[in-house]
Formats: sequence, structure tokens, C-alpha cells
Amino acid sequence: MTPVERGQDPEIIRVEHLTKVFGRGATAITAVDDVSLSIRRSEIFGILGPNGAGKSTLIRILTTLLTPTAGSARVAGFDLVREPGRIRSVIGVCPQAGTLDLELTARDNLEFYGHLVDYPRAELAGRIRELLAFAGLEDRAESVVATFSGGMRRRLEIVRAFIHRPLIIFLDEPTIGLDPEARHEVWEQVARLNAEKTTVILTTHYMDEAERLCDRVAFIDGGRLIALDTVERLLGLVPSGDLVEIRFDRITGDVVDRLRDDPRIGFLEVREGTIALRALNGGRLVPALLGVFEEAGLAVTSLSVRTPSLEDLFIYLTGKEFGAGAATNADSTGAGRES
Amino acid sequence: MRGTAAIYRRDIKKFLSNPFVIIMTLFMPIMYLVVFGNAMGGAITGVPVGIVQEEPYLDPTPLFQSSSEALSRLAQPGEAPTFAVRFFSSETSAKGALAAGGLVAVVVFPSEVSNTHAVRLYLDSSDFAVPALVESGVRGVLQQQGFGGGLEVNRVYGEIDYFQFFGVGVIVMAIFMSTMMGGVLSLIRDWELGTIEGYLVTRVKRSSIVLGIVGSGTTKGFLAGTVIFVVVLAITGVPFPDAGTTLLVLLVLAMISAGLTSLVFFIASRLRNQQSFAAVNGFLNLMLFMTSGAFYPVLGMPGWLRALTVVNPEYYAVHALRSLILRGQGLGAIAVDLLALGLFAGLCILLGISTFRRTLE
Repeated sequence: MTPVERGQDPEIIRVEHLTKVFGRGATAITAVDDVSLSIRRSEIFGILGPNGAGKSTLIRILTTLLTPTAGSARVAGFDLVREPGRIRSVIGVCPQAGTLDLELTARDNLEFYGHLVDYPRAELAGRIRELLAFAGLEDRAESVVATFSGGMRRRLEIVRAFIHRPLIIFLDEPTIGLDPEARHEVWEQVARLNAEKTTVILTTHYMDEAERLCDRVAFIDGGRLIALDTVERLLGLVPSGDLVEIRFDRITGDVVDRLRDDPRIGFLEVREGTIALRALNGGRLVPALLGVFEEAGLAVTSLSVRTPSLEDLFIYLTGKEFGAGAATNADSTGAGRES
Repeated sequence: MRGTAAIYRRDIKKFLSNPFVIIMTLFMPIMYLVVFGNAMGGAITGVPVGIVQEEPYLDPTPLFQSSSEALSRLAQPGEAPTFAVRFFSSETSAKGALAAGGLVAVVVFPSEVSNTHAVRLYLDSSDFAVPALVESGVRGVLQQQGFGGGLEVNRVYGEIDYFQFFGVGVIVMAIFMSTMMGGVLSLIRDWELGTIEGYLVTRVKRSSIVLGIVGSGTTKGFLAGTVIFVVVLAITGVPFPDAGTTLLVLLVLAMISAGLTSLVFFIASRLRNQQSFAAVNGFLNLMLFMTSGAFYPVLGMPGWLRALTVVNPEYYAVHALRSLILRGQGLGAIAVDLLALGLFAGLCILLGISTFRRTLE
């Protein structure tokens, strides 16, 4: 056993200058570009980035499915290139594409993997029962997986990766394509896995998922690591506090000037029918803001205060919007750039 | 109209995007021409025929001498001699060589030829076309020598028609077909669907994956071969062999199933889609079956094709199955075949393990 396996080393994965280039010459694509990072034992580590950022490639390298073009990594103390077999014994992987055998039952699928990972024969049946219960699928054990919903398949696939109680579990986009209820179920499952001291590494392009689940997150864009820290600290990087958005029917230049003069307001932008501004402790500012409008005899149709999300952070860090879902945050893009 | 064009263009684009399949598509008819044409149409040459004089301690009779010379010289225009004549000192040893499969026919010249002492021809009747060729060749030579006595023809394995001759070969083809459909195909589907990504990241060994796939393919091939074996016997009217021989037949079926599955695994171990797999299999099936002797005697093939039969597991399987089913021979006659099949399967499994990759690259 390595110090990592014995649990002495707080660091479970170390990645150094990892690079992966697909193809050669003019058509070469650098999917992972000089990434270095370290993952701690028992944490839920999120790898975030838009589609095509290189998240899955990074996971595939760390799970021995792809060989790095350059750089090195140690997973649970084992060298990625020299000891892939030993790494495979201590990891569990739930790949992004469905990898269940659809024509087999839930139990068959788990049993197949139980044998592949060399789980003690005598205890396998009991372990499968336990995992089916964990996934909430006890009553569907004998149904073929083809009849399962997307959420059920995902839950089954996640427990399958966990069958041998791996030190580290990799989940590549665990909630992609699932409805909100199914996503919540998967999140609960991940949190429970982590409660068993398993290090969870998940990739996602859903910011809310990372905010909700992850202890630390790494932002990846264009194959490069652009930020890595706890969610809280990363959010602290976004300048000038909360986002306040005020909608109205009519506005005067006087009101805008009064708001601009307020020292508590860091940044302000006026659009058609909306004022967007940033302020520390935006909530406390609300009465004052409403007061300004009232004094001018103008009506406020709506007002919202929101703490910045990882999405805002991503936009701030990269200067670009994060997928189609980021459309509603167009205002904060401007804010990020300016501050 | 626009929809038609769109469907058409999409298909052409996909076709052009897989050069391997294009090459195989073009290559196949050419290979058919070369292999099928040569395997089926060739002149039969070098048929091993044993010649013996009944009482060898006497001086060779003039008929014996002139006939054996004439037989050795006999050839179709522009071809190698039809017969490879070997002299034997006793009828027993010559017949022994015939029974062991070293000879196709034995011609016995009595020391004194008369109406009651005819020239006797013992024929391995389990082959196709060759026995008829030998018989007409011997008759022609005897006539040429002005011999008036009779020719007594003994078909060692009875009357065997082409249906029965070919039927045995079909068993091997059935095994190849099931190998194409099962075993390795499930691995190719795992690559295509991405299912394989799930288990490549487990601790399962590369050799375990290879052996598991070859094992399941072998079982499927064996079952298919066994079913076709029974069906072939039933429809071609070949008598059902005894229990011991049947067990040997099943052993041969198991070994050729393992040999073919592991060969297909080795060849397809780097293929990632069903189209390429189908193209490779079509080609392999043609090459192996045509040169197996299932259709037409190997003696009728040109030298380079005959050389291919040496590395063709189907050749050994067809030979072993004919020895057991049509000739009623035992383990001794198929020992070489079993050895060859075993070596072949072992080698292909080792090659398959070394070429199979555990990564997605």
C-alpha cells in the first residue's frame, strides 16, 4: 500500500503539466493544455467548464483511458503511465456516455462489474442488494435496464462505479440530460458517497451543481486551468459584491445621477427599462434604492438582489458567456469586464 | 426531391469517410475473381497414386512397367503431371498409405494378368473429382497398353456424392458465420456504443477480456457447428458416426470454433465499427473457405493457393471432419489436424492479447 492508500497523504491526486494533443500537424487539437492541480482526500472536487473545455479528456487521462502527450500525474500514489493497473483497482468511474448493458437487468449489470473488479464472491450478492437500495432500485432489480428512465440509469451507473468501494470515484457529467428531480436524486447520492470518505471528482457544466456539491472547483476553458479554489473563495474573486437589478417603466437622469453618486454602489449600468448595479451587501441597500425612486415619483416594477454565482465568476474570468443558459446574465458580463 | 438529395449526399459522405471500407469493397470482387477462379477452375495435378505389383519378388511385368511409366507421364496440356506415382513393395503398405490419407489411389497389378486376374484400383472415394480423374486415367493407360483384362474398381469409402462432400465443408462455414455474428461482434458493439469505456477502467486484465470474448465466440460457434453437423448428416444421407467418432467430431468443432474466433479477434482487435468488421469478415470468409478444400479438392489449386491452405485452419478442420465423417477414420488420421488447430488458436489468442488495446486510442 502506498501512503495515499493508507490515508496518510492528504493529497490523493497530483497532476503536473498535463497536456493532451489529439491528431498531428495542422489538424492537431490541444484538449488539455499544461494543467497542474492537486486533489485532496475525501473532498468533492468539481471540474467545471463549457462543453469542449477538455473536462472529459482530463478525466479519461486520470482514469487511464487516454495516455497524456506530456506531463505526469499520480493517482492514489500510482504513476499514471507506469502503473495504470494499480490505479484501476482503486478508482470507480461513471463515464459520460451511458455504459450500462441495456439488454441486461440491473442486477446483471452490477454482477458483471462485481466480477470484473474481483469483489469477494461470497459477499457480492449482499453488496448488490445494498447498492440497489442505495440507488433506490430494489424493486427494479430484475428489470432490463432498457426500461429504465434516464435518472434511474444514472443512479445505477453511479452505484456500479462504487461497487468495490473505491478510494476515488470519477463522475463525468453525472446529471447531463436529467430532469430537475432526477438531478436532485443524483446529487443526494453523490453527497452520500462522499459521506463514506470517498473522494469524488465530478465534471459538470452546470454551475449550480458545482456550487451545491463541490468543496473545491477547477475552472477549465480551452484545455487550460483558469482558476481553482473553494467555491466561497472563488466567488470572492468577483468584484463589487451582489448584483441588484431594478426594473421600471420610466426613469430620469436625475435618479441615475443620484444612484451613481452613492459610494456604496460599485458599478451601474442603465439599459432599456432596467438598471443593473453591483454593491456589497446589496440587500441592505434596497430601502435606500426604493427611497430614491419614491422621491422622484417614479415606480419600480421589480427589484432583485442576487449573490454572484459561479457562472458570473466564469464570465468574469474568461470574459465570455457560459453556454446558452447564460443569456440572462448579459448585464453582469459588462460589469465583470469593467471592474 | 430535396429530401432525396439530402439522404443521398449524407450516405455518400459517410461512405467516403471510411477509406478502409471503400478499399475492401473494391478489393472483394477482385479477390473473388482471383481466389474463386483459381480454387475452382484449376487443373488437378500431382495426385498421389501408389503402384504395386502383386508378387514383388518376381520381375516386373511389361504391363506394370509400361503402365507405371505412362501414368507418371500423363498430363493435361501445359500442366504439371496429373499423377505423382509412388512405388510400393507390398499391397499392404500401399493400402496402409491410402488409409492414412497419404495416397488417393492404389493400383495393384497382378503378376499374371488374365480375365480372372484383373488390375485392381483402390480409390479414396471421399474426395470430389479426383477419384473419377484417377479412374479414367488408369483406364486410359491400360487401354493404351493394349490390355484386354478388366479393371476392378474398389471405392474404399463407398459411393460419396458432391452433396455429401460439400456438406461437411458447410459445417465449418456455419462456424465462421456464427463467429462473425457473435463473440467479437459484441466487443465491436461495445466500442461503438461506448459501453467498453465502463469496463476498461476496471481492474479486469486485458487477457481476461480477450479470453472471455474468444470463449463466448467459441461456444456460439461450437453450438452452431453442432446443429449444422446434425442437419448436414440428415439431409445428405451420410450415416451417423458411432459415439467415439462423434466425440472426435465435437472436439474438432470446438477447436475450429476457437481457432476462427481467435483469428477474427486478432484481425478485428483494432477495429472500432461494425462496417469495417463486416468488410474484414467478408474477405476472411472468402479466403478461408475457398482454400479450405470444402468446395473443390486442394489438389486442383495452383501452388500459391495450396501454400495458403497450410496456414488455413479451415483446411485442417475440413480434412479432419471428412476423415471422421466420410471415411470413418479415427484419432490417428486427424492428429496432425488437431495439432495444427491447437497451435493456430493458441497463436491467434496470443496475438490478439498483444494487439488489443486497453485505451481509447
